[in-house]
Amino acid sequence: MKPVKKFSVLRVSTVLLILIILLAISALISVAVGSAGYSLSEIIKAVFSSETSATKTIVINLRMPRVIIAVLVGASLSAAGALLQSVMKNPLADPGTIGVSAGAGTAATTILLLFPHMTSAVPLFAFGGACLACCLIYTMAWKDGVDPTRIILSGVAINSVLGAYNALLQMLNSDSLEGVLAFMNGSLSGRSWYHVKLVVAYSAVGLILALLCIKSANALQLGDEMAKSLGVKVSGSRILLSAVAAFLAASTVSVAGMIGFVGLVVPHIARLVVGSDYKAMLPVSMVLGSVVLLLADTIGRVIVPGMEIPVGIIMSVCGGPFFLYMLRKRGKSIGN
Amino acid sequence: MEIKGENLVISYGDYTAVENIDIDIKKGEITTIIGPNGSGKSTVLKALTRLLKYRKGSVYLNDKNLLDFENKEFARQVGVLPQKHSAPPDFKVKDLVGYGRMPYQKWYSKNNSDDEKIIDWALKATGTWDLREKSINECSGGESQRVWIATVLTQQPEILFLDEPTTYLDISHQLETMRLVKKLNKESGIGIVMVLHDLTQALEISDRIVVICHGKKYSEGTPSEVITAQMMKEVYNVDCDIINVPGRNKPLIAYKEII
Repeated sequence: MKPVKKFSVLRVSTVLLILIILLAISALISVAVGSAGYSLSEIIKAVFSSETSATKTIVINLRMPRVIIAVLVGASLSAAGALLQSVMKNPLADPGTIGVSAGAGTAATTILLLFPHMTSAVPLFAFGGACLACCLIYTMAWKDGVDPTRIILSGVAINSVLGAYNALLQMLNSDSLEGVLAFMNGSLSGRSWYHVKLVVAYSAVGLILALLCIKSANALQLGDEMAKSLGVKVSGSRILLSAVAAFLAASTVSVAGMIGFVGLVVPHIARLVVGSDYKAMLPVSMVLGSVVLLLADTIGRVIVPGMEIPVGIIMSVCGGPFFLYMLRKRGKSIGN
Repeated sequence: MEIKGENLVISYGDYTAVENIDIDIKKGEITTIIGPNGSGKSTVLKALTRLLKYRKGSVYLNDKNLLDFENKEFARQVGVLPQKHSAPPDFKVKDLVGYGRMPYQKWYSKNNSDDEKIIDWALKATGTWDLREKSINECSGGESQRVWIATVLTQQPEILFLDEPTTYLDISHQLETMRLVKKLNKESGIGIVMVLHDLTQALEISDRIVVICHGKKYSEGTPSEVITAQMMKEVYNVDCDIINVPGRNKPLIAYKEII
């Protein structure tokens, strides 16, 4: 047995502090860079001056809402993934497992391709679709309580049916896929204060609820029988935690489309840095998720001049190899 | 304080694992459930501790039906150490032991000074005080078993259920665990119910033994009443002699030679 590092309170607070500073720096960079680049003093001047200028419009109306959405979406997806990994006792669980992505994708594809005049209602329908798919999976998995293996298997089945429907719909409408593709790959392009208003209340509530789940998430890590004998309502906790995770993920999907890998990778990185105790791991996941998504979106905006790469693609391209690297190097603590 | 199971029938799907068992467990005693693999020992233990639903019959804790208990209310009186338990390897011993306080806490509350005192007591009582700052996977098999016992002790139960507490341990750690169990029973008056495979240990430590065979109760009583050559033959299909040795309180089981 190899000794595992112990994670002191001091270390956790230091990590959190560093991450928050990183988040602030990333936010500044994200506001500053782009097709028009600004210096710090220009940004400050634009924000605090009363006269309208092009700089002010770009900084306040285009870039700041996008930064805020990236921060909220990153935190929400990571928190959702972290909770689901405890619920499923499975390191591969993420919001896709419980059908959030497939459900939102189905709803969005249907609206975008079959009812294009209702495009402005996509966030609402995506949210609804995500929740419906999640409920369906849990209903199918229910038998004397919810068993993680049954959730995962019924998730695989329902995801595949919804995936087939999406694929068929896209084949039949292959000439008008632009909006669908943007949604499926997760994009923050053109997000405005309208979208911030749409998502901020949901994310805030969801994130607070997630922090209140810490004790249950920890108890579930002790095994079902142990948790039960400590007085925890195991199935109840599973459903509650899943509901919070679904709510968080669904609210992000509604404004940002489907962004993979954040919910899967970020909790693992957090676990490697501060340990498995959700008291430390969940808050660190949230801030780290914000940093990661914000950086990914900024990279996607500037890496190819004159063109935006959707943040979902950047996340998968960078996240995949990075995850493999972690697995090779520190795999022991992930494998168990 | 007693737990009474009446006429229990427990089944997994169509398979009936336990049929019409009556069982009576008193506080302050060490009761051991023995029987061959698959006889239903652990099943009975789970039914008595609300971990498993029974199809017929009823279980009472102090004349109150188990079904009428709140989860936490039950967990304040009865502690269970299941055969399978796990914790993330980097969990600190002291934090893990602290989870035993959950039945006393609201979902938002932290350990108060009373909780801390009880955690410290459990760590000392199980000899895990020096391990408290270590992480779980820095502990040896025997140490981690004592840490888990400390965790359930922190629930301050009046009756403690241990499902095969010695199964994965070497002989020295097995005896160490048994000594700890005996000490807890003697010094704190906690009732112990165990499933054990080692009959010599069962004979040594138990006040009462219940023998379960094919999902039915074969016999129950004091160790010397229950552990007989006839029982060994009928239940385990094993030939042996039960031998009294001068200078020992309890008899020994001498199995017939293998060849």
